[in-house]
Amino acid sequence: MATDMTAQSYGDVNLEDPVSGRELLIRGNHDFHYVTEAVCSVAEMKLLDTPKPWVFGWMLAVSVLAFLGSLILYLIWEGVGIWGNNNPVGWGWPIVNFVFWVGIGHAGTLISAILYLFRQKWRTSINRYAEAMTIFAVICALVFPGIHVGRIWLAYWLLPLPNQMDMWVNFRSPLLWDVFAVGTYFTVSLLFWFTGLVPDFATLRDRAQHKVAQVLYGIVAMGWRGSQRHWNHYEKAYQIMACFSAPLVLSVHTVVSFDFAVSQLPGWHTTIFPPYFVAGAIFSGFAMVQTLVIPARAWLGLKHIVTIKHIENMNKIILLTGSLVGYAYTMEFFMAWYSGNEYEGFTFINRMFGPYWWAYWIMMSCNVFSPQFYWFKKLRTNITFSFILSIFVNIGMWFERFVITVTSLANDFLISSWDYFVPTWVDISMFIGSFGLFFTLFLLFVRFFPVIAIAEAKSVMPEADPHYHPPHDDHPAPAAAASA
Amino acid sequence: MAHEIKIPEDVDLPASSLWSKLWIIGAGVGALGLVGTFATYSSNQKHIYHSYLFAFMTMLSIALGCLAFVIIQHVVRAGWSAVIRRIAENAMMTLPVFVLLFIPVYVGVHDLYHWSHAESLDDILKAKAPYLNMEFWRIRAVVYFVIWGVLAVFFYRKSTAQDDNQKDPSLTRSMWKASGVAVLLFGLSQTFASFDWLMSEQPHWYSTMFGVYYFAGSMLGAYAFMTLVAKGLQKGGLLKTAITTEHYHDLGKFLFGHTVFWAYIGFSQFFLIWYANIPEETEFFIHRLHHGWETVSYALPLVHFFIPFFFLLSRHVKRHPTGILVGAFYVMAMHILDVWWLVMPNAGGHMGEKIWIDACALLGVGGAFLAVFGFVMNRHKLIAIGDPRLEESLAHENY
Repeated sequence: MATDMTAQSYGDVNLEDPVSGRELLIRGNHDFHYVTEAVCSVAEMKLLDTPKPWVFGWMLAVSVLAFLGSLILYLIWEGVGIWGNNNPVGWGWPIVNFVFWVGIGHAGTLISAILYLFRQKWRTSINRYAEAMTIFAVICALVFPGIHVGRIWLAYWLLPLPNQMDMWVNFRSPLLWDVFAVGTYFTVSLLFWFTGLVPDFATLRDRAQHKVAQVLYGIVAMGWRGSQRHWNHYEKAYQIMACFSAPLVLSVHTVVSFDFAVSQLPGWHTTIFPPYFVAGAIFSGFAMVQTLVIPARAWLGLKHIVTIKHIENMNKIILLTGSLVGYAYTMEFFMAWYSGNEYEGFTFINRMFGPYWWAYWIMMSCNVFSPQFYWFKKLRTNITFSFILSIFVNIGMWFERFVITVTSLANDFLISSWDYFVPTWVDISMFIGSFGLFFTLFLLFVRFFPVIAIAEAKSVMPEADPHYHPPHDDHPAPAAAASA
Repeated sequence: MAHEIKIPEDVDLPASSLWSKLWIIGAGVGALGLVGTFATYSSNQKHIYHSYLFAFMTMLSIALGCLAFVIIQHVVRAGWSAVIRRIAENAMMTLPVFVLLFIPVYVGVHDLYHWSHAESLDDILKAKAPYLNMEFWRIRAVVYFVIWGVLAVFFYRKSTAQDDNQKDPSLTRSMWKASGVAVLLFGLSQTFASFDWLMSEQPHWYSTMFGVYYFAGSMLGAYAFMTLVAKGLQKGGLLKTAITTEHYHDLGKFLFGHTVFWAYIGFSQFFLIWYANIPEETEFFIHRLHHGWETVSYALPLVHFFIPFFFLLSRHVKRHPTGILVGAFYVMAMHILDVWWLVMPNAGGHMGEKIWIDACALLGVGGAFLAVFGFVMNRHKLIAIGDPRLEESLAHENY
């Protein structure tokens, strides 16, 4: 145990980037078996031994989820009039929440697909969390347009289903493209996540002490035996799926941005929206990964696997994408003036100093100013600071969607139709309720799933190199080293 | 992975190599090209300045793309690229000379930019005058050139200093340190330069995406240029073992990736403007759907995206010695076509009219660019031999 403790605190030690060679991604002198133990021990804990804080947290999340459920029933009963949406602001919090959650759901596939294609080995310690978060965030996102359709029992009309009335969805509407884009993204992300999980489920199956666990893990492991042929197919499948997922990371938020940008509304219609939304999505996604992973690595004792280096790398991405978002704000603002279009100009001045000035400045300070702290390595590698800042970014990105959606609608072309948007208690509660859904799923994941991609994490350890020689020759490396 | 990593020795440009004479060849071609461009000045003044701007923006995009490449390698702590980074470093050192190449744009400002006629502007352009006026335009140009010059010289000096001062980690660290701020400075200066010199040719038109569009193209140009030079050096018997199939494979991946990126940006820009159909924005595309330019406009998605996409998709092609060469040539040609399509419709003529002037201008500016590139290449080693990540790069393998 003593060595474990050293290894744990070693994960927090800030090392200088090596100029040649690469830093160890999993710290401490561990073998493969140790990684298996460290990750599996959480999932293998007896049900009755589940830590009290987890039980409390999960029950809290489930209650909030139940609250969301009852609000949805209330909404179906009463209709969307219980929301604050008013005449000019036809899209209020539900769309804001939708875009917020979809945005968060971007980091997972970015980490698993794009960072994989860029051979960024550090991804192996965090991809599983991020992918899980993606799946759950997209589920949360899908709730909102689903319940926004009014007659929810006709929500299946979103899909182009053949019918005797010959009535079709409007293929020219970006809202329909959204159905396809988000649907595809969810399906592919889920399959990608599951593919990665199969070998690790097999590990849990093989180690299971209880018949029920063995059968359940056995079902999801889909007969994985870890043969050379299995691995061969797995690697190919993983790479191909990564190639297919990479454009999806861009396409989803691009299409979400089209919801706004194909219109003629000042503040919505601008050509930089697609990449700007994608950058914002990655920004918020990484912030959410930080929010989840920083406490999780401490509570689950995985600090030597998710090290300070991983946190710093994510902070760098947050700095980059936050600045890209700042670039987009600057371009929008500059062009609003440069266009010479008085409506464009008004919209942006109105955002800054109009009735929603507070939302605008929350957005600016959280999204553009706060990440600038990460220019300093001291702050990038400060765990408490990273955690706090990730929450600021989450807040800022929610406000960004609020600013875009509400300010442009509330003060449109016709002054007589202007109105101030005020959310109702249902709006607020439903947003909080979506966190109940998110955390219910996430806590289940943390408790019963392999939270680190065990097989992938092993592949970046020095032992995975066929030419690796263990430091002490009297303790030969495990035979597995050569085959990994 | 190789057990023994051999440090390459063919890293000096021998005086017998044709490459060492590139600066003379480039200067000759450049001089002839420029003479050809301006030969008919009295009758083709407006067209000539547009041709020149096209050539200037094309070559500038490659130089800027190379600068961006170098900065990005440092900011992401890349290892694979150590053996090809010097090519980009040499190319970015042409940036200070672009001040001289800018002179014709400066002189031709009234033929190129309608907004520069302060006395005859409509209300919209009058409102834009605080930005689009001669004084501020000049000041901004100075700022861009200073930023690019300083960045290029900084990264070049540090990197070449490492050649003799074997593997001095402090040099690498100082480049890393500067690279973050460099990204910021580069991004903003590149964006506004593209507004000033390209977008403001149609002064009523605007697009928030325009800076990104020019950037996407410039990265394509840079990757194609690096691939071509690497191939050319190896043909000339240099860097035989340093640059391997693995590096070409990666360059090919970037060519492929940026082809997709360019298409993504180009499509988004077009699509949003087409869909909203607001008159002041559609101007840009309407202009390019008349006078024969519609051929180029309709062809671009096919020739600049679909063809290179399917060609470079193949792993076999990216690793094939001729395949990657053809790919890089083709992408370079398409990038030139893209800039031509951005600039030349503004000259007012029919598509392809007086195209020989455009060709002369490209030879002129391109020759000057290659002359400087060749001159710089003669002065130092052909690869960053002292980079601490050199071994990593030499042993680089795609898996």
